[in-house]
Amino acid sequence: MVRWQRGLWLFFLPSFGLLALVLLWPLGYAIYLSFFDYYLGSGERTFVGLANYADLLTEARLWNSMWTTILIAFGSVGVEFVVGFALALALYRLNRSAKVFSVLLFLPHIVTPVVAALFLKWMLASNWGFVDATLLTFNIEPPDWLGSPVWAKVSVILADAWVFTPLIMMVLYAALQGLDTSLIEAAQIDGAGSWSTLRHVIVPALIPAIIFVISIRLMDVFRFFDLIYVLTGGGPGTATETITIYTYQLGFRMLEVGKASALGVITLIVVAALLLTINRGLNKAYRGGDQ
Amino acid sequence: MTIRPNVPMMKGATAALLLSSVASGALAQDAIRVISHRQPALEYYTQQMVEALPEGRVNVELMPIDKELELASITMSSESDAIDVLYLTDSSFKRFAANGWLEPIDDLWEKYSDEYDLDDFPQSVIDAVSYDGSIYAMPILTNTELFFYRKDLLDEAGIEPPETMDDYMAAASEMDSARRAGTIMSLKPVDAALNEAHWYMNAIGDGWFDEDWKPIFNNEAGVAAITRLKEMSEYAPRGFTAHANDESTINLQQGLATMGLQWFTRAAAMDNPEQSRVVDQIDWVAPPGGGARVANDGFAISAFSSGDREEMFKMMAEAASKESMQEGAKYAMPPRLSVLENAELAEQFRWYPAARAALESGKAFPAMPDFNDVGEIVTRHILRAVTGEAEVKEALDQAAAETEELLAGRGYYD
Repeated sequence: MVRWQRGLWLFFLPSFGLLALVLLWPLGYAIYLSFFDYYLGSGERTFVGLANYADLLTEARLWNSMWTTILIAFGSVGVEFVVGFALALALYRLNRSAKVFSVLLFLPHIVTPVVAALFLKWMLASNWGFVDATLLTFNIEPPDWLGSPVWAKVSVILADAWVFTPLIMMVLYAALQGLDTSLIEAAQIDGAGSWSTLRHVIVPALIPAIIFVISIRLMDVFRFFDLIYVLTGGGPGTATETITIYTYQLGFRMLEVGKASALGVITLIVVAALLLTINRGLNKAYRGGDQ
Repeated sequence: MTIRPNVPMMKGATAALLLSSVASGALAQDAIRVISHRQPALEYYTQQMVEALPEGRVNVELMPIDKELELASITMSSESDAIDVLYLTDSSFKRFAANGWLEPIDDLWEKYSDEYDLDDFPQSVIDAVSYDGSIYAMPILTNTELFFYRKDLLDEAGIEPPETMDDYMAAASEMDSARRAGTIMSLKPVDAALNEAHWYMNAIGDGWFDEDWKPIFNNEAGVAAITRLKEMSEYAPRGFTAHANDESTINLQQGLATMGLQWFTRAAAMDNPEQSRVVDQIDWVAPPGGGARVANDGFAISAFSSGDREEMFKMMAEAASKESMQEGAKYAMPPRLSVLENAELAEQFRWYPAARAALESGKAFPAMPDFNDVGEIVTRHILRAVTGEAEVKEALDQAAAETEELLAGRGYYD
């Protein structure tokens, strides 16, 4: 290290201080609280060690909410990726008006998720909602969008896809702009069809952007709360109860702060492990394809 | 190891959560902040509070009941003074009082008894707003659930208003069609679903608990009750699991449902020509089989309020005065004897005779501070049963096990 670089670590302090204040302190406090039996109404808390973790890990409700989270997360991100990628390719192919279309397609993402969810809730309301009323006009019996366990999951996945597909579309569209067009031209000269060009030229070139966008969305969707809270509240029953909704129920409805904190820590560990695995898998696939 | 929580630390942790909701209060620091459930009667009574004090002194926020209780729980548990006066149902009131989050008002009750004629409230109503020997709330409305039905449609079909749950099922089945549901059903957790289940659990089942607070809702009669609820859902509008009082009221008002259980406070809205397509076509009887919910709700002062408690008490007493309740009788059943015994009311408001009958056959929630938390567990499992996620017996057994675990943790069986 040269002499002028020696004091540079001081510049790191403000951002570390801010991170410690808004991230590390609440995280540490949550970990601390997770070792206590702490009902907010009682005014006192008792140290119980790992009992909250043991209780939660043996509860069927935790595993149900975990599976629901995984199903909704992969369902949403799957739909968002397929539709977002298709839209990005369509925009890339457009010679004119691409900017206008991209702005229009990006609109759902500009709306706050809670507002989007309220809007969708009224759209999906039975009988008088826009979707039901339209289908009933054509004598089509609509499903119970938010009341049937299966359709509630589908509605939640589609709602998330409606809000976040534009994000994936924009990231992939931006990545496509940096694509070396000579590669596509070379493939076409060699007689490659559209599908082969997409599979063997475009997709491999976009892998870094794909890894980035899928990781970001998966991280996000595992914290999925606002849309579900407004649309279904986790119901009917426990059909759309994700792990964040369960944490919220424990913490803010039942006021079981110790247990809710333990669930937050479990979620953190599970999501971190899952994302690490997915990242490694995608990276391996990328490197494998590169060789 | 038992620790007293670090209150300043808790305050800090909840500050962010409260920030947005407190923002409006911060604009007018001296204003008394009142939060309440949004429904016609409470819109009227909170307006009476606003008018009781000089302009700008009272700041009212109305929101759905679950949001209000959530906001109040977070605020009170952090001992914040962001809320001064809050509306509480009888079940939630007991939990708040037991947690020490409410201000006892016995001294003010005695001091202003003559001025506001507080002896006009029957003892049963005062008992309902008391906990552990102290009065904690100003009674504002006695509410009961009624059975709403389309008189024109039932007359046309030659069906008498149902008196039993079997009659109700037969009538709903007969009246059900693609465009009009046989019955409304409000199964949105927690409050609405708990009210609906409470009716079935009392009319068909044996109630919720035995005398030792052990759950009995999963016994044979309880399983029969929820099985019937599930069967009745065949005749409910699509989306009933996400319906609360607002959605069910709209379904009745718009002619999309024929009958069902709904609160007294929604009766006037049926005859409001600006909102309703069924003016004069709805009639009311006491809920078939009895056992529907009766509630005595009121306004209480937060134990952490930094406001002048005497001023707040007088504000609440003005809203609950005889004159105010005489006017408010069209929205909700007033708990004052002098108003209740007024014969003109029955002539003026068509639903009053049914309401009196419903009061006699109705039943309050179990008198335990933690019933809302029990409700969170029970409604979740009842909905699993109704939507086919689990068998009724299996769902109720699991609800009973979780309930017992919760109540054991809260010291009910010590």
